[in-house]
Amino acid sequence: MELQLGLALPTPNMVKGFDLNNHGLDQLKEMGGLEAWNKAAGCFADKDCVKSKRSFEQAFGNFTEECRTKPLLLWSGQPNEEEDHKDQKKATFSTTDENDAEEDDQVVGWPPIKTWRKKIFQQQQQRRVGRAENNRVAENENGRSIYVKVKMEGVAITRKIDIKLYHSYQSLTNSLITMFAKDKKCDEDDYILTYQDKEGDWLIAGDIPWQ
Amino acid sequence: MPKRLAYSLSDEVLEHVFSFIQSDKDRNVVSAVCKSWYEIERWCRRKIFVGNCYAVSPKMVIRRFPQVRSIELKGKPHFADFNLVPDGWGGYVLPWITEMAGAYPWLDEIRLKRMVVTDESLELIAKSFKDFKVLVLASCEGFSTDGLAAIAASCKNLRELDLRESEVDDSSVHWLSHFPETYTSMVSLNISCLGSGEVSFSALERLVSRCPNLRSLKLNRAVPLDKTANILRLAPQLVEFSTCTYSAELRSDVFSNLAGAFSNCKELRSLSGFWDVVPDYLPAIYSVCSRLTSLNLSYATIHSPDLIKLVSHCPSLQRLLVLDYIEDSGLEALASNCKDLQELRVFPSDPFDVEPNASLTEQGLVAVSLGCPKLQSVLYFCRRMSNAALVTIAQNCPNLTRFRLCIIEPNTADYLTGEPFDVGFGAIVEHCKDLIRLSLSGLLTDCVFEYIGKYAKKLEMLSVAFAGDSDLGLHHVLSGCESLRKLEIRDCPFGDKALLTNAAKLETMRSLLMSSCSVSLEACKLLSQKMPRLNVEVIDERGPPDSRPKNCTVDKLYIYRSVAGPRFDMPPFVWTKDEDLALRLSP
Repeated sequence: MELQLGLALPTPNMVKGFDLNNHGLDQLKEMGGLEAWNKAAGCFADKDCVKSKRSFEQAFGNFTEECRTKPLLLWSGQPNEEEDHKDQKKATFSTTDENDAEEDDQVVGWPPIKTWRKKIFQQQQQRRVGRAENNRVAENENGRSIYVKVKMEGVAITRKIDIKLYHSYQSLTNSLITMFAKDKKCDEDDYILTYQDKEGDWLIAGDIPWQ
Repeated sequence: MPKRLAYSLSDEVLEHVFSFIQSDKDRNVVSAVCKSWYEIERWCRRKIFVGNCYAVSPKMVIRRFPQVRSIELKGKPHFADFNLVPDGWGGYVLPWITEMAGAYPWLDEIRLKRMVVTDESLELIAKSFKDFKVLVLASCEGFSTDGLAAIAASCKNLRELDLRESEVDDSSVHWLSHFPETYTSMVSLNISCLGSGEVSFSALERLVSRCPNLRSLKLNRAVPLDKTANILRLAPQLVEFSTCTYSAELRSDVFSNLAGAFSNCKELRSLSGFWDVVPDYLPAIYSVCSRLTSLNLSYATIHSPDLIKLVSHCPSLQRLLVLDYIEDSGLEALASNCKDLQELRVFPSDPFDVEPNASLTEQGLVAVSLGCPKLQSVLYFCRRMSNAALVTIAQNCPNLTRFRLCIIEPNTADYLTGEPFDVGFGAIVEHCKDLIRLSLSGLLTDCVFEYIGKYAKKLEMLSVAFAGDSDLGLHHVLSGCESLRKLEIRDCPFGDKALLTNAAKLETMRSLLMSSCSVSLEACKLLSQKMPRLNVEVIDERGPPDSRPKNCTVDKLYIYRSVAGPRFDMPPFVWTKDEDLALRLSP
């Protein structure tokens, strides 16, 4: 059955559905509305409406017949095969929000850690680094690591690395390839390392000595 | 109840009976019995909880409940905690304070969560409520120490001032000194969110020393370690304490002073803070560990061996918050030592790094589920998981009420089988029949939502991210979860069909927030049009939704039921319908 995305003009039936809580509406005026919520919930809690899983059409059929509130859309319940939801999913996944005010170009709000906690964590990290207790920056001379964001073309999530850990462009490149290999199969030769200098120009890495 | 009996009880008797009924739900039921009970109940209701400040207007609340003493309001939706709701969206408390200032002179408790509170609001509170006792501002923003100074100066009977996780601007005023010398009523003070400039230690010391009823004290980070001992000696009756900066070079005199101070605190049951902790100082708390029921080490960068040592001293622990430095080995130690554990939260020490920097896997959680039979509430960040582990956890802990799992990398599959986690989460909802809160993560298809719709009958709050294949997923949840109140979804391919089919369901819920999903503007318009008791807000900072191409989906959609009608304080990036049933720019 074709799903009917075309949303019809309100039919008398639909209007009736919304008048379900007529009784509720009177009381709404009197009682300020809280009871009407209970009534609506009552309709939904009605065991006849919600069935345990049989075939989807059956469950849906019961829903429209017995539940007095009409849905706004009649739907066969079959996912529309024309839409490629996987692509859609990827598309949303790869969108990084331009409004992300934070330093890192991570997916906004993921992982779900409260802003407050993130702030504290960042402050602590800076202080920790200063104390040179962090194993990951053990090779530093002056104790401060330099974190840079690295993005690979075609991969959504940027990574953050401490370039103080590397001694040469080659080791950096190798490490990056390994890191990104998880997301995308890549050949070493296919990729070029570029970086953005203070003026915002993109330059190919390797022209200037590592130091 | 037979009519005769109802009429034979006088109003005073009924009112007295109702005074024993504290829960909002029960009160609501009582008020629906008959008109006279409704009348009696509304005059004697003292506590109001408004889960969404836009669901009802202050005038409506005041009209129905004229003698309220305590109010709790929540503003922004939960996803705002993760920057998913743009600044300026709303949640302003001033209109409420303004109305209540006139109507409730005896209001003594205000609890706010995720609201915008201004200094003006705080000054109004200080001025208007003569017997003001409790102010809780959880995850609020918009005020400064000026506002706090007004509260300190005027509220002679203030018992509780709790600013947990709020953002406070430093106006450089020494607000703590504004508590008069005659003020002695503090019972609970939480200023852990304040920055370094905002608390004068000597003022704090004086305050603590003259408040004999102080039970809970949560200090901010800037107070140095050697001062902690001073504070504790002034308040040995503390039950809850959050330490200040817990780092310093190890000095034996400071250590023994601290250890001595802690050992005086016989009532101490809950410890938190431990910012920048130096592990060598941890043994200073060993004397109180055996009595501790709650320990929050989630800001402490101490590693597994020290954590294991600490945890082994705490057999009475019921609640533990910790970083993933605890590792599987630490969680195994927890499982064998802390048999009363009810709540566990494990946060990631480095959430943005792809590679794990601590050996914490699903094994740790499985160990705890096996060893801690009273486990009820779990929040767990990890980088790998298996369906087998989830099934085991579900079987071990049928009493779980809250289960929030965050597998850090989106769309991660079962590391053993490569499968989605449908079966694992399915087991959770099937076995844990009292589950009220669930957060999903990892690779998930529509199947998991079918399980949730089928089994999670008591579920009240569901958080979904990067999951599902089609509208069927959302439809399963909306049609099956009878107790659902809050639903928050991001980056899922859920769209118009499921939403419109289940439009009526939305009126039975507090709210639905969908971010980066597949809902079209047309559907939003239709929903607005057909459901007058829903506020449908399209939150889109990219510009007028009408101007975008037809197939463009809305950025964020926030739908909530309301008897107050549309709100009038919307910022330019929030779009709703107007009388002409077309979306327009809000005023």
